[in-house]
Amino acid sequence: MDKSLKFYTYLVLILFALASIYPLFHVFITSFKQIDEYIENRVFPPSRWVLDNFKVAIEQGHLLYYFRNNVILIPTAMLLYLFVCVTAGFAFGRLRFRLRLPLFLTTLFLMIFPQMLLSLQIFNICNKLYLTDTYLGVILVWTAYFAPFGTYIMATFFSSIPYEIIESARVDGASTWRILTQITTPMALPMLGFLIIIGFQSMWNELPFSLLLLQSMEKRTVTLGVAMVQGQYGIADPLRAAVIVLASSIPILVFLFFQKYITTGTFTGSLKG
Amino acid sequence: MALKIPNSKTQEKMDLNAPVIPNGLKPRKRKSLQAQESRDAYLLITPLLLLTFVFIFFPMVSNFFYSLTDWRGFGGLNWIGLENFRTMIQDERFWQSIKNTLILLLFIPLGVFIPLCLAALLRGGLKGWKFFRAVIYLPQVLGYVILGMIYNLFLRSNGPLNSLFEMVGLQSWALDWLNRPLLALLSLGTVYGVFLRIGFGTIYFLAAMGGVDEHLYEAARVDGAGWWTRFWHITLPSIRFNIEFLVVMSVIENVARAFSFIYTFSRGGPGYSTHTLEYSLYTLGFTNGRIGYASAWSVILFFVCAVIAVMQIRLMRWNDG
Repeated sequence: MDKSLKFYTYLVLILFALASIYPLFHVFITSFKQIDEYIENRVFPPSRWVLDNFKVAIEQGHLLYYFRNNVILIPTAMLLYLFVCVTAGFAFGRLRFRLRLPLFLTTLFLMIFPQMLLSLQIFNICNKLYLTDTYLGVILVWTAYFAPFGTYIMATFFSSIPYEIIESARVDGASTWRILTQITTPMALPMLGFLIIIGFQSMWNELPFSLLLLQSMEKRTVTLGVAMVQGQYGIADPLRAAVIVLASSIPILVFLFFQKYITTGTFTGSLKG
Repeated sequence: MALKIPNSKTQEKMDLNAPVIPNGLKPRKRKSLQAQESRDAYLLITPLLLLTFVFIFFPMVSNFFYSLTDWRGFGGLNWIGLENFRTMIQDERFWQSIKNTLILLLFIPLGVFIPLCLAALLRGGLKGWKFFRAVIYLPQVLGYVILGMIYNLFLRSNGPLNSLFEMVGLQSWALDWLNRPLLALLSLGTVYGVFLRIGFGTIYFLAAMGGVDEHLYEAARVDGAGWWTRFWHITLPSIRFNIEFLVVMSVIENVARAFSFIYTFSRGGPGYSTHTLEYSLYTLGFTNGRIGYASAWSVILFFVCAVIAVMQIRLMRWNDG
């Protein structure tokens, strides 16, 4: 590669890297700034780094409640989500039945509809089933909404498993359930990892459903609680920044931990052409 | 970022003729095994069907029913025929929401082109490309609620962006990005429609480009083709499907996934200037409590999404050969 091309390439990359990271960086340094200082100094790092904003955010922002709720909600919803995606994905990917194609296409069709389009009526239904303001309601709605995509991923994966493997197990008298749990699911473990990552990201960041279903403060998720903070007037920006930093910490940690997995060919098998 | 669709090659091959049951078995045994397999399949998809029926399919159908009523969320409801639809087409907010949604779509070409270029640059394998890839993707993990807050803070009239402009002597660039109707919409388009597409788009294209035959590039290099020629004549045609796919996905993100971002970025304001069709459902249904009327809007949004969904599925299957 010649020199000037290399120079411009780096220039463009650095520019975009800065553009994508700077707003985040700004929020990070602002969260350590004293409220008075932020009025004068918006751009530069704080002259004195303080933790006051975090203290206030945790004490008055009920953040600990929200984190507790996420710890309850997400793992439970995740188990249900994995169960639904793996069972349905296996059926669509590797079993033969008459309504397979129409049902599979319907599942794909359902993936696109916006949460807001459904929320009004979901709220209505949950009200009738006594599911509003309960963890169970959110868990069921999340699973229902996110499972079609997960099912699609799993179906894609399972359909790539050679038939011979399943056939020979069948000849040996293994039941479908046994084939699923002892042969194909162990083969799908890397895919399950991917499923857990996207499931986690979808659920952690979900707003419309939790906004409508979780009315009381004690039940709110982190994302919902943070969104509510945004709606309140008279909250100083450094305080807002501290709330953002606390709420982002977990997704960022997850990203750093799985960085290679997420950004490389990712789910290579399913993304590569 | 709920939707990431794999490329075709590894995708579901819908060959219904493949042998299901080993051929060596006796016919009767085969038949019973086939019936068993079919029964098991229905059992396995029951959890999915049950959940999606109750929480997705049924709500969707209910929208059609309530759109013909004047229900306000509690108490009785009256059957009012197409009255809601008549009110809707005379409602200025309806047309503004549609206009806003369409304007957001205009940002898609840029939101697809930039990731394409970045992916092509990163593919060159310069030192440190993995670092750039990670940094460019990083904002994506935060989710739209947090990103909306971050960019709201960033673009305020007294925020850091304007402070930066003033520091370098560009006072006239320091605009009130979020409080002027048209400017707020353009800010939304630039941030949501372009900036927030970059992270995923780049790694998506990068993965797709990894599948392009390396010999094509070598041959082109031997023929003396420059960087741009190779990009235009080899890379682009090779990943055409992925480009089309990202365009459709961007349409979905703009039409059907923007609520969370708008909620914290601009709250649909000032006035109705950043209300998309989707966001208006929230204002009408929950802030104003006009469920019947909001359902009429939902019906329109349903048809818009249905068209996009059919496009998407056709693209996936058509590419499947």
